[in-house]
Amino acid sequence: MELLDRYLQAIEFWLPKRQRQDIIAELSEDLRSQIEEKETELGRKLEDTEVEAILKRCGAPLEVASRYRPQQYLIGPTLFPIYRFVLAVLLIGCVVPRFLIWLAFLLADPAHRGYLHMENLWVTVLYFAFITTLAFAIVERSGVKLQALNTWNPRKLPPVRDPNRISRFGSLFEIGAAMVFNVWFAGIFWPRPAVDFYGLRITIAPVWQVFFWSFLFLAVANVAIAGVNLFRPYWTPRRAGLRLLFDGVGAGLFCGLLKAHLLVGISASSIPAAKAIELTNLINTWIARMLPWAIVTMLVILSFDVYRIMRLRCVHLHGGSIGPAVKDLSSPMVNGN
Amino acid sequence: MSPSNGNHDLFENLRLELRRGCLSLAVLSQLRTERYGYTLRKALAEQGLEIDEGTLYPLLRRLESQGLLTSVWREEEKRNKRFYRLSPEGKLMLKQLGAEWQRINSSLNGIL
Repeated sequence: MELLDRYLQAIEFWLPKRQRQDIIAELSEDLRSQIEEKETELGRKLEDTEVEAILKRCGAPLEVASRYRPQQYLIGPTLFPIYRFVLAVLLIGCVVPRFLIWLAFLLADPAHRGYLHMENLWVTVLYFAFITTLAFAIVERSGVKLQALNTWNPRKLPPVRDPNRISRFGSLFEIGAAMVFNVWFAGIFWPRPAVDFYGLRITIAPVWQVFFWSFLFLAVANVAIAGVNLFRPYWTPRRAGLRLLFDGVGAGLFCGLLKAHLLVGISASSIPAAKAIELTNLINTWIARMLPWAIVTMLVILSFDVYRIMRLRCVHLHGGSIGPAVKDLSSPMVNGN
Repeated sequence: MSPSNGNHDLFENLRLELRRGCLSLAVLSQLRTERYGYTLRKALAEQGLEIDEGTLYPLLRRLESQGLLTSVWREEEKRNKRFYRLSPEGKLMLKQLGAEWQRINSSLNGIL
C-alpha cells in the first residue's frame, strides 16, 4: 500500500487545512475498498502496476485536490475584459512611442540608434503590468465592483458611435483655430529678406518663400475640407484621401523645413558678430534635432488618416465597419464628395 | 488540434455540463437510504451512472454544506466509513428537483 499512501500524501498537501484529515480518510477508504474488491476478484494481492492503474484513473493529486477547493481567481471574469483592455492600452502607450522615437532617430540620425534602452523598457513594462494587476485585484476584492454593477443606468450609457461621422464642433474648432493660426502665421512669417524682432535682425534664407506659400496653401485647403465637413458631416473616401494627401505633403514640407537651415544670420548691436554666427548655427542645429520628433508625430497623424480610409473602404466593400461601431444606414456617404 | 479532436473535446465539455446537474439529483435520490461513498458509487454504476471518486466526494461535501445531507463516521467491517443520508431539507429538495426533472424531461422529449 506504499503507492496509495504516497498518493494520498500528495493530495493532502493541496487540500484546505481544516478538511484535510476528513477528506483523506474518506478518499483512502474508497481507494482501499476498490483495491480489496479487485484482490478478492483475482484471489491474490495486487501488483504495483495494478494499484498504479487504479490511482491513475482517480486523477493527478493536484487535480483531485482542486475539486475540493472553491474556485479562486485574482481577477474574475467580469473585470477581466476591462483589465485586459487597460493593460493593452498601457503597454501600447508605453512601448509604441519609444519604438517610434527609436525608429525616427534611426532614420534621421543613425548616430542615436542606441536611444532605445531595452532594459529600461522591460522594467517599465513590468512595472505597469504589476501596478495594473494589483489595482484590479484590489477592486475585485473590494465592494467597488458590486456597487458599479448595481448602480448602472441605461440612460448613462454612451450614445451609439459612428466613427465616420465628423463632429460639427470639431469642424468649427478646426476652422476657428486654423483662421487664427493663419493670420498669425502670415503676419509674423510673411516672406521678406529680414525680420526685426525686439531689436534683433533675423535674416531668413530665400527658400522660405517656397515653404511659406506651400504651408499657407495647405492651411487654406484644410480649412476648405473642414468647411465641407461642417455641412456634410460624414467622411467620404474622396475627402479622407484629400486629407491624407494634404497631411502627407505637410509632413514632407515640415521635415524639409527642419533640415533646411533657414536661419541665415542674426544681428544686433549688443551681440558680437562671432557670437551671432555661433548662435545662428546653434539654432539651426537644434531645429534639425527636432526632426525625429516631427517624424513620429507625422507618422501618427498619417496612420490615423490611412486607418480612416481603410475603415471607409471596409464599409463600402462589406457594408460593415472596423471596430465596434454600429453602422448608421442613414449616413450620406455613398455619393463621395 | 485536428477537427475531430476539437469535436471530441467539445462533446466532452457539453456532456460534462449536461451531467453535472443530473448527478446531484441522482446522488440525492440514492441517499434516501443511508450509504457510504463507495457503496453509493457502486449503486449508481449498477444503474448506468458511473461517477468517479474525484467527482462524488466533493459533490457530497457540497450537498452536506448546503444542508441537504447529513453524515456520520462509523466503524464497519473494521474500517471507519462516512455514512450519508438525506436531511429533511434534502428530502424536500429531492421532491422539488424530481418534479422539475420530469418537466424538463417531458419538454425535451417533445423538442427532440
